[in-house]
Amino acid sequence: MILHRSHIYGVVGEFETPEKLIHAVEKVREAGYRRFEAYSPFPVEGLSQAMGLKRNLVPLITLIGGLTGGIGGFGFQYWVAAITYPLNIGGRPFNSWPAFIPVTFELTILGASLAAVFGMLALNKLPQPHHPVFNVHRFSHASTDRFFICIESRDAKFHLAETARFLQGLEAHHVSEVSDD
Amino acid sequence: MTAQDYKAPESVGRLQQSALAIGGIALILALFGAVRSPELFYPSYLMSFMLILGLALGSLGLVMLQHLTSGHWGIIIRRPLESAMRTLPLVAAFFLPIAFIGMKYLYGAWLDPEKVKKEPLSDFQRGYLTHNGYLTRAVMYFATWLLLMFIFNRLSRQQDADREDRALRRRLNMLAGPGIIVYVFAMSFAAIDWVMSLSPHWASTIYGFLFVIGQMISSMALMIAVVVLLARAEPLAGILQKRHLHDLGKLLLAFVMLWAYFDFSQLLIIWSGNQPEEISFYRTRLYGEWGVVAVIVLVFHFFVPFFLLLSQDVKRNAKLLPKIAVWLIFMRLVDLFWMTRPEFTSRAVPTWLDIVLPLALGGLWLGFFAFNLKQLPLLPVGDPKLEEAIEHHEH
Repeated sequence: MILHRSHIYGVVGEFETPEKLIHAVEKVREAGYRRFEAYSPFPVEGLSQAMGLKRNLVPLITLIGGLTGGIGGFGFQYWVAAITYPLNIGGRPFNSWPAFIPVTFELTILGASLAAVFGMLALNKLPQPHHPVFNVHRFSHASTDRFFICIESRDAKFHLAETARFLQGLEAHHVSEVSDD
Repeated sequence: MTAQDYKAPESVGRLQQSALAIGGIALILALFGAVRSPELFYPSYLMSFMLILGLALGSLGLVMLQHLTSGHWGIIIRRPLESAMRTLPLVAAFFLPIAFIGMKYLYGAWLDPEKVKKEPLSDFQRGYLTHNGYLTRAVMYFATWLLLMFIFNRLSRQQDADREDRALRRRLNMLAGPGIIVYVFAMSFAAIDWVMSLSPHWASTIYGFLFVIGQMISSMALMIAVVVLLARAEPLAGILQKRHLHDLGKLLLAFVMLWAYFDFSQLLIIWSGNQPEEISFYRTRLYGEWGVVAVIVLVFHFFVPFFLLLSQDVKRNAKLLPKIAVWLIFMRLVDLFWMTRPEFTSRAVPTWLDIVLPLALGGLWLGFFAFNLKQLPLLPVGDPKLEEAIEHHEH
């Protein structure tokens, strides 16, 4: 079976409730698996802690996006109003910073939110029109009423038969192999 | 869950004693100041009074906000909030020195017949800003707040006795919305009477909101410090979780941002209009020594807390978050200093009374607050969402 490893994406186990999913995820981690993913039709509280997910880069990307938007927004207005095209407006100084703040604020929000959305998409490698788990027929239930764990074959501990048996031992409803094409 | 009484730990009693002792000593010192130099005493007193008023009224506002939204954050701090709210009678007593003696030192600009002639006041302003009008309205403000305090305190006690009473829950919810509106209106008018009238020819429509949001900051900051302190001992040890601190920290951040937003809106509009009667407020406050204070307020009341509170780790940090909170209460005092004092002097140097008076009023207030904290269970045992709010999710 090991011979076919290159054609196998992983093994997927199906669970009936979010509690069973969290329980199984904890066991999977205890068993030493690291390359696995959980799928559920809705956000399950406590799942990311159970999976041991590390903090991701989205907050940092958002901060950088916000700072870029803010500094860029202020800088652009300063450049226009004080350097390239200075206009005397009611005798106020060219660098009329209070008037620049609303635009600076808006651009900070714009920069931060665009960075958050696109940063999240990029880190999730989205958009992704196809994923090997879709090859499992029952996986369509992941968007309605079932919860799945997929242990991927690139995990160092992965062994097709043993991993499948291990998932079965966790009260998985169905266990299926996921082919890689 | 078994019936628990959540009695306040002994540390609350110690807090009460030391706060009262400090407040008492500071009060005696302050009384010398009141006798020797009342013209220095009352500006300081007004500033300290507005800070303490903010702690009590901000808590009243947050209690109502909690009944309106019934978020978990509010259930954890509801009893400390109510204890702070129940100090309102003491705060009303704190107002008496201003009403009986302080007025002539504070509001000469519209009270002194000689000075009024020089002020470019409209007929309406002259009719509105009178000695009796000021006092009548002050009575009305306090009556309004005390009534709200009485209602919410009473219903909350009833809820402790009968937790199954769904009608009570609905009533609290129904009353909270109108209550918030009434509180904000009364506070807006009070801010106009007590602080804005220091320079009677100047007016700003957002002025009342600046005080309301400042009160939210003070109260939320105090609550963060208090719950962390309470969680050091039974019965709250183990009940306060990081997610609660996270929520409280998020609200504190939101209030700080809203405060900056309001404060900046006022500046932007007046600065854009550039009208002589409006810009005077900022001419005195953004230049010279007061300009330095303005920068301090901008940096330490907004930028530093804002960037610190942005971080999730800081909001969940039980050591750092209370420090930021206490710092913000101090910055509220600096902001009030900057709002009120330039009407009296161009020197932005605090007097010894600016240290003693906040300690005196604050100490006595904190003592009463701690006393109130001991009267009822530390958690609203009758709140139907209590169990959900103190449940542990985190593994």
